[in-house]
This record gives sequence, C-alpha cells and structure tokens, in this order.
Amino acid sequence: MNDLAPAILAAIFAAIVISIMGGALSVFVVLKRLAFIGQGISHAAFGGVGIALVLGVHGATTAGAIGQLAIVAAFSIAAALFIASLSRAHQGRIDTAIGVVLSASMALGFVLFTLAESKHDHDHQGHATHGHEDQHHLIEDILFGNILSTTWPKAATAIAVAIAIITITWFNRRRFIFWAFDEPVVDAYGLSSKRTTNTFLILLALAVVMAMQIAGVVLAAAMLVLPGAAALNLTSKLRPVFIYSILIGAAGAALGMAIGINAGYPAGPTIVLTQSILYLITLTIKTLAPKLRS
Amino acid sequence: MPPHEQPPKQPAVEINQVSYTYPPTGFDAQSEPAIDQVNLSIAQSTKLGILGPNGGGKSTLIKLILGILKPTKGTIKVFGQSPAQARNQGLIGYLPQRIQADLDWPISVKEVIALPRASHLKPWQKLSTDDHAAINHAIELVDLQDLANRPIGALSGGQLQRTMIARAIAGNPKLLVLDEPTVGVDIAGQQRFGKLIDTLHKELDLTVILVSHDMRAIAAVADRVACLSRSLHFHDSPKGLTPAVLAQVFAHDVAGVFGDIHIDAHLAEDCDDPAHAHPPNQHQHDCGCTENDSDINSSRGAES
Repeated sequence: MNDLAPAILAAIFAAIVISIMGGALSVFVVLKRLAFIGQGISHAAFGGVGIALVLGVHGATTAGAIGQLAIVAAFSIAAALFIASLSRAHQGRIDTAIGVVLSASMALGFVLFTLAESKHDHDHQGHATHGHEDQHHLIEDILFGNILSTTWPKAATAIAVAIAIITITWFNRRRFIFWAFDEPVVDAYGLSSKRTTNTFLILLALAVVMAMQIAGVVLAAAMLVLPGAAALNLTSKLRPVFIYSILIGAAGAALGMAIGINAGYPAGPTIVLTQSILYLITLTIKTLAPKLRS
Repeated sequence: MPPHEQPPKQPAVEINQVSYTYPPTGFDAQSEPAIDQVNLSIAQSTKLGILGPNGGGKSTLIKLILGILKPTKGTIKVFGQSPAQARNQGLIGYLPQRIQADLDWPISVKEVIALPRASHLKPWQKLSTDDHAAINHAIELVDLQDLANRPIGALSGGQLQRTMIARAIAGNPKLLVLDEPTVGVDIAGQQRFGKLIDTLHKELDLTVILVSHDMRAIAAVADRVACLSRSLHFHDSPKGLTPAVLAQVFAHDVAGVFGDIHIDAHLAEDCDDPAHAHPPNQHQHDCGCTENDSDINSSRGAES
C-alpha cells in the first residue's frame, strides 16, 4: 500500500467514515420508511450542483470544491425541509412531495448545466469540444460519484462533516428512536415531532450530500438504506441493529474500495454493489436460519 | 391514600372558558370552533369520563390538556401550570387512541416503556436506578414481567395496550389521559381495562381522564362523567346521565340506541367477571358480555 497517493488514502478513509455514518442513519431511514426521501434529496442535490456551476463555483480548486459542497448541502437541506412541509400540505402524502421536488430539481439541474456550458463555450469563443467532454465527465461524476479523483482537502471536509453527523445522531439517538418508533405520541411526552423530524431531515440531507461524494446522485441513497436493511435481517434487538448496520456499511466500503482500486472499477458503484451483496447474504441468512434450526 | 380531611387540593385540570378553532385547511375551508366555551374543573384523584359523539371535540380537548394545541380563547391549567410545563415535568401520561407505533421495530417491551424517560436524558447519561425502579414498577402494575424482554412485534393486541399503559405511567405521572382506549374491545375487555385503571388509580394516586364515544367504556372506568359535544353539556356523577341528557349530547334520541342501559353499579357488577357466565340470552341485551366470553378466554389463554 506504500504506493498509494495521500489522496487515495484520504478517499479510502472518507469512504469508510461516510459508510459508518450511512450505517448509523440507515437504521432510522429503513424503519421510518425514508428511503424514498433519501432518493428525493440526492436528486434534488443535482439542482444544487447546477446552481453552483452557474455561479461559477466548481471543483477545480480546493476553495471551489468546498464552496460547491456548501451550496449543494444548503440546497439539499432546503429541498428536504421543503419536501417535509409540502408533505404536510398534502396531508402526509410524502410520495407526492418527493415526486414534485425530485423532478423539479433534476430538471433545474440539467437546465443550469446547459446554461453553464453555453456560458463556458461563449467565454472561449470557440467550439470548446474539450469543455464539452469535461462537462459530460463532470455529469457522470456527479451522477455516479468519483471518490478516487478527490483531493485530500475535499476528502478531509467530507470526513469532518460525516463525523459531525455521526456525533449529532449519537446525541439525539434516544429522541430519534422514540420519534421513529411512535411519532404520533411524542408531542404528548414533551418531544416536538416537527422539530425532531426537521433535525433528522437536515442530518439526512447532509448525509446524502456526503454519500454523493462517493456514490453520486443516483447511488447515494443506497448507502443510507442497504446497511440498515441488512442489519435488520440479522437481529431484532435495538443495540445490535445499529452495531451490525455500522459494521456492514464499513465492511462494504472497505471491500468495495479494495476491489474498485485493484480492478479499476468505479469506486462508488463497487461499494454499493458490495453492500447490496452483503444485504443479499443477510437476507439468505434470515430466510434459511429458521429452517436450519428446525 | 391521603386522608379525606385534608384541605381541598388544587384541581388537577382547570379549563376556563376555552374555545378552539382549527386553522382553515384549504382555500375554501371555513372553520367552526371544535370546542366552544368549555368550563371544566377536574378534581385530583377523580376518574373522569368525557363522553361525546365523534367529531364532538374530544380529541381536541385532549390535545389542549396535553399542551399540543393552544386554546384560541380561554385558559387551561394542569396542576396549576400551563399544560406544556406540566407535560414536560412528566406530570401527564398519555395513551393514544390507536397504537400507531411501528411494530417492526427491533425493540423490546421494556425498551418501549423506557422511551419517555430515556428520551429526556442527556446523551451521555444512562437510565438511573430510580428510572429502572419506576419502569419495573410500571411493568409489574400492568403484569408484563414475563414479557418484558420480548420484541414488541411479538405481543397480542391486549399485551401491546398494556405496554403502552406502562409507558404512560412509567414517568410517574399524576394525570393519566386515555383517548378512546377500548375501541373495538368487547365489554368484558372493557371491564378488565376498567379494573386495571382502577388498580393504577389506587396505587399511583392518579387523576384519570378517559375520553370515549362509548358509554360502556366510560362506565367501566369513570366515577364522574362530562358530556362534550362542542360545548360541555353535563358534568356530574354518572347517575345523573339520563337519556334526555344523552339525546342532547348525541343530537338525537339515544334511548332507542342504548335501550334501557343506564350507567350504574348494577351494570358494572354484572360484567365484572367474564368467567361468571350468565345463562344464554339472559342479560345479553343489558351488557352483551355473555356473547363474547369465549373470545376473551381464548385471548387470555394465548397470553399465558
């Protein structure tokens, strides 16, 4: 491993920390049935990338990369809270709210991409074929992630944010459990369901943006679903679920990165694929274990 | 129990000229008050049944007492404080109308009962010995000792309800609020529920508020009755609840619906013991408990 560049090591470390974060949150995401909202947020983030691009904030420099991350994060948090308030307005029909925000943001993103591209063409006065290629490459990175081409400041930022998310989730763990288990009664016990929902959605939006650094818009939400879903196949006890979920998330990331780097596969999809396989294994265990016991 | 000679205690709940109107929900929606100028003083240690038709403002009144809604007009005091203050001090226990908790959760009965106490701890704190003692006491009172470590999804409906009652009392509340607790429960089940609430009432010196549209559910628990149909129509001992009062509350002649049933001690005794079966057809019209005895026994059998 001596020949690995610092940026690659940072990428590996980022993938593992972000997967631990995904593991912790995914138990809530699965049990509170928020998987689709994760999808909504990650696709909404695409609109945020478009805005950053039009504003001329892009990942070419470290400051640009972090600025882009901040704009995308802010846009995603706004989208998440908007989905929540829209779903309240639609009598709790959250699928309608997600459908609206997801498609609108995705559409906005593509329009802004084109706008940024034409600006780019115009600036260079030429055909800018090279710019076009960059643009397509950029879109692919945003859609499917490209952690291996990250820089260490960007990776360090992602790691710091992921650790902050893990810490805040741990601080709020009991409240989140009560809320996710029985939201209709928490207000009667002095816990604001609205405030708890919003806190969790803000964390989820930030987590999705961090997961996007690895797996992109399309696959980010998977990292916030698969570990929890897998862990729930293995146990029906509260503490072990969280421990298994974190371990499965981290193992998937480590294995996925190792396979990705050695075989030259894209890291994000490889991690998601590895976590999917781990999920299938736990599902098999869950299905077969009772039969083997009897 | 404190001796009766003590000076009159401050009322558990003091509702003074309270009205509540929901905000209009749509472009063309018009709001009428859900409850209108209600005055109600609930003395400590009473078991008050609030009877009213569906849509009569019962759930609204509960949300006001719990401090989830704020009155549009008037004031509410719970043990001399605002409802939110009383609630945040753990003075109120609450049993929801329908149990909407997610039973797929990998969580044990005891963990569920501990949730209200646990959710108010600092992140680095653990449940104290006092917390554990209160939780275990609540589990004993509802007789769930044998099931405390079971996953919540493995319980029957009745066991689940007892779990939620234990959750409501584990915080050592002084007021227990029950929202339609026995919907869809047969009359013997209601009587059993009444007995459990009676035990809790004595053991914990609770004030109990039970809200229901079902007179039998009220009869099984309450020693005082209030009738709510947007405004308060009646507040007294159940004996004063005549068909004429009920007709007013339910806005039609209820005599035909309820037959000759009056809420009185006789009814409660009749249905007290489900095992004490009546000959078929006799009393069936009165309390309907013979009809469902077999159900009750089989559900009991499943629990043990």
